Amino acid sequence: MRCLSDVELQAVAAGEADEAAASHVEGCAQCRGRVDGIRHDLRDIAAVVNTAGAMPPRLEAQVRESIAAREPVRGSTTMRGPLPAPAWRRPRVVLALATAAVIALVVFGVLPRFGAPTTLSASQVLGRSLETLSSGKGLEMLEYELVTTGLTHGSWRIRLIVDHERPTRYHVSTIGPDGTVVGAFSQDPVRQTRTQLTRVDGRNYIVNVAGIQNPVLSLPQMAEALVETVITMMQATSGQTLTVVDGPTGQQYVVETPPVTPATSAATLDLHFARATVDADDFRIHEFEASGAILKQPFSVSFTLLNHLVLGNWQASSDPFAIVPGPDDVMLEGTPSEHPVDELLTTVIRELARTRTF
Amino acid sequence: MKVVTMAAASMPTDPSGETLDLFHQHGAALYRFCRVTLGRADEADDVVQEAFLKLLQHLEKHGDRSNLRAWLFTVAANACRDRLRWRVRWLPWRVELDTRVVDAVDDRPDLRPARAALRALAPRDRLLLTLRAQGLSYREIASAAGIREASVGRLLARALERWKRGVESRKR
Repeated sequence: MRCLSDVELQAVAAGEADEAAASHVEGCAQCRGRVDGIRHDLRDIAAVVNTAGAMPPRLEAQVRESIAAREPVRGSTTMRGPLPAPAWRRPRVVLALATAAVIALVVFGVLPRFGAPTTLSASQVLGRSLETLSSGKGLEMLEYELVTTGLTHGSWRIRLIVDHERPTRYHVSTIGPDGTVVGAFSQDPVRQTRTQLTRVDGRNYIVNVAGIQNPVLSLPQMAEALVETVITMMQATSGQTLTVVDGPTGQQYVVETPPVTPATSAATLDLHFARATVDADDFRIHEFEASGAILKQPFSVSFTLLNHLVLGNWQASSDPFAIVPGPDDVMLEGTPSEHPVDELLTTVIRELARTRTF
Repeated sequence: MKVVTMAAASMPTDPSGETLDLFHQHGAALYRFCRVTLGRADEADDVVQEAFLKLLQHLEKHGDRSNLRAWLFTVAANACRDRLRWRVRWLPWRVELDTRVVDAVDDRPDLRPARAALRALAPRDRLLLTLRAQGLSYREIASAAGIREASVGRLLARALERWKRGVESRKR
């Protein structure tokens, strides 16, 4: 008898084959090996299904209740369409930074360290994301889409290289729709340099300042602090929803705080809505969206992580913190100052004065 | 595979109790099946609940009891298909103070390529492999997936091949 086809072998593995096929497999080492392979694959698939998550205990209560009532009890999803809850029922998510800081202390002090938890709450997912935010090592490159309204308006693609060992060492670039760099800022306390690139009328102007003594506070650190603050506020908000969804790279947790009506408040930062999409494998935030008010000025911010690369110890010949000039770029040498804006302004005014003398 | 077969003579008179018994026997497997098929825990909850409510109605109307396990998977598979088709119409439950928790995603690294490859399959391939992994026979799979029994072997073999290619590409 000829060796069996994939379909026939599949039937043998499933116990659905006729006697002739089964006896052939008994006597044919090659077919037996292929059947073993199919069974092995199916065991792997069964393992994936069996580790998809245990049935939550509350489901039994829901099923009991629905059987007793002969109708579905409150489920986990709802049809799109119902209006939001009345305003008086919505929680007020108006928290001052000081409150958030105190709550953060409580949350991190009280929450147990995570080993292999069987269940996660929204607050715990956010807590692990916070740990991930502050646990980077070596050089890291992040590329993301940033959209803001309010204090600043616009949509940018940002590429950020940060050295976690030296937080004031970083390189941030803004990339235009055609892929060209339209602005960049780099600071390297190791080489004592700070460089800014500005693109005006299709030409790059690069101001390079050498011999800096006091590196300024890192922009990534400031952005990270804002994200940490918002996430801490989300943790403290009642009524967060937590769902697990399939993302393009695997399962993701989506934590969302319910939208609230903006209220008059004296808080420095009011949070009206926030959503974080967190990778279920490494708890890195992949998407983040928040809206509210900073100093009573409305704002909204959203970013989507496009690329993430851990560079480790940089061994390549190029310096990731350098802004390399192109052939048509205008290079200007600046003088170190306490503030980067001063460096830029002083350099430009000096160059303007030089031109005027002719 | 455990097939629930009941003779008419031994038919219980309490459909509610029988439904709960069947929930204890098959609820967990049905939940995992829905979870993998839908990719969402909250929707899996609802489908399981609906399936057992329909089972109750089925038993009260003295419906066919020859293979209630396959019947349950068929109902759940249909519900999952409907949900996937109309997913855009569904939103997460958003009641204030709902402090329920979700299951932590299993982080067995050795299963990651297998899980990712299963998730990347077309819905029908994933449905067939998941039903097979739950130990359903070709006849039961045909009933649950709405295909001819004669086609099950061929479609399963193709689905398995596509899944294997997906696993290999993720291991590289």
